[in-house]
Amino acid sequence: MPRILIKTESLNFNHMIRYPDLQIQAEKLTFIKGPSGTGKTTLLKLLNATTSPASGTICLNDESIDSIDAVLLRQQLLLCGQTVYLFDSTIRENFAHYYRYRNLAIPDDDTIQKYLTLCLAPFPLDTHCQTLSGGERQRIYIAIFLSFQSDVLMLDEPTSALDETTSRKLFENLKLLMTDTNRTLIVVSHDQRLIETYADAVIDLDAIKEQTQRSVVNTALTQKEA
Amino acid sequence: MNDIIQLNLIQFSSIYLLLLVVLAVMKRAEIEQSKLLVIASIRMTIQLILAGLVLTYIFDNPHPLWTLLYIFSMIAFAFHRVLSKQPGLNRAFKIGIMISIALSGLLVILYFIGGVIGISVFNPQYTIPIGGMIIGNAMTGVSLGIKTFMTNLASDRNKIDTLLNLGVEPRKILLPYVNQALETALLPTLNSMLSMGIISLPGMMTGQILSGTLPLTAIMYQIAIMVAICTAVCLSVFLSLTFGYQSLYNHRQQIRLP
Repeated sequence: MPRILIKTESLNFNHMIRYPDLQIQAEKLTFIKGPSGTGKTTLLKLLNATTSPASGTICLNDESIDSIDAVLLRQQLLLCGQTVYLFDSTIRENFAHYYRYRNLAIPDDDTIQKYLTLCLAPFPLDTHCQTLSGGERQRIYIAIFLSFQSDVLMLDEPTSALDETTSRKLFENLKLLMTDTNRTLIVVSHDQRLIETYADAVIDLDAIKEQTQRSVVNTALTQKEA
Repeated sequence: MNDIIQLNLIQFSSIYLLLLVVLAVMKRAEIEQSKLLVIASIRMTIQLILAGLVLTYIFDNPHPLWTLLYIFSMIAFAFHRVLSKQPGLNRAFKIGIMISIALSGLLVILYFIGGVIGISVFNPQYTIPIGGMIIGNAMTGVSLGIKTFMTNLASDRNKIDTLLNLGVEPRKILLPYVNQALETALLPTLNSMLSMGIISLPGMMTGQILSGTLPLTAIMYQIAIMVAICTAVCLSVFLSLTFGYQSLYNHRQQIRLP
């Protein structure tokens, strides 16, 4: 029986988005999909408490996230946002900047290289990030977040600047790494092919919305055995 | 030393003729600000006449209450000016700015008048002009500091979001912006100290020399006021930003920018 990691109950954001009650399993790869405006990004922000719901509760391992220190929660449920931010310096210095902000020891070159390779960005560490393309920057950004080895990694549109082959290869690596180490991956994406190939579970916010509109009891969490 | 030559009304009025030169240049360069020039000149004249009348009355009828009232209305005006340039600040931030300007202004005035000069702080002849310079400069400094702080935060929204998502404390994210804004706000004062006496004789010193004060006395006052201004600017900007940045995040460690 898979363990439930995150549970939401009558979650309501800004009185505009009403979420059905959701469940996300531990140690699985869950995709969140739906057209824009259905609150996919907002859901991730609610989960890591960078924004608060108007009403409703979110539980992490059966404990309300309101009783967890918000900073510790974010370190545990790391959210790699949609907009890439890299410092105007080299790849190595970017890792260093972010690790310094977290008061952590800066990883050695081999470790950095390992995560870059996993994210298909095997560039020399002295490469200046300004010289890289949008897709390359996105992969470095993901590599930095991945290297923090959080229990849960949430990726918001991680393949928006990547071609299909690169996207598939990236997800192959991500899934292997996360399931190997018993960690949870939550991904917002609208790439149907990626979802079909890699999802352990899918939350379709649009389908749920339509169903709740028709007053059908929520059962929209589609499960797919990997 | 001679006493200052009193200006009669005709002599005085003739200074306005110089503004015709400004008007002519503006016309020639097609700068359509002649209306502003007229309004600014008239406002300046009326405001200073009023200030002159009020000061004459206060000097003739000295009372601690008048001095206090004058200082507090200067603080209120300074506060109002800072806020009018930065709408959209939250309530706690505004209160922080008001307390910071008042606290640092009063503290420096008290030390300068009561401590250094060694007279009663209710003496209007000293407290009002010196207080005005200190509060006025604190106002400019706070204005510049808050503007720099908010502009930098707004343009770095993406970086701030990334750091928050990474699990960095809001305090640690915001403090570099506080320090940078403080530095920007202090630089004009420090730069004016650098050029003082070489490029220009500052206003207060000029005034004292014109009214017959010995130059060496005048420079001592000028140095004292510059140090006082520097301290007031530094303190008021530092306190405003220190109160202010803490009002930008809540107990759930969420950063709210206007």
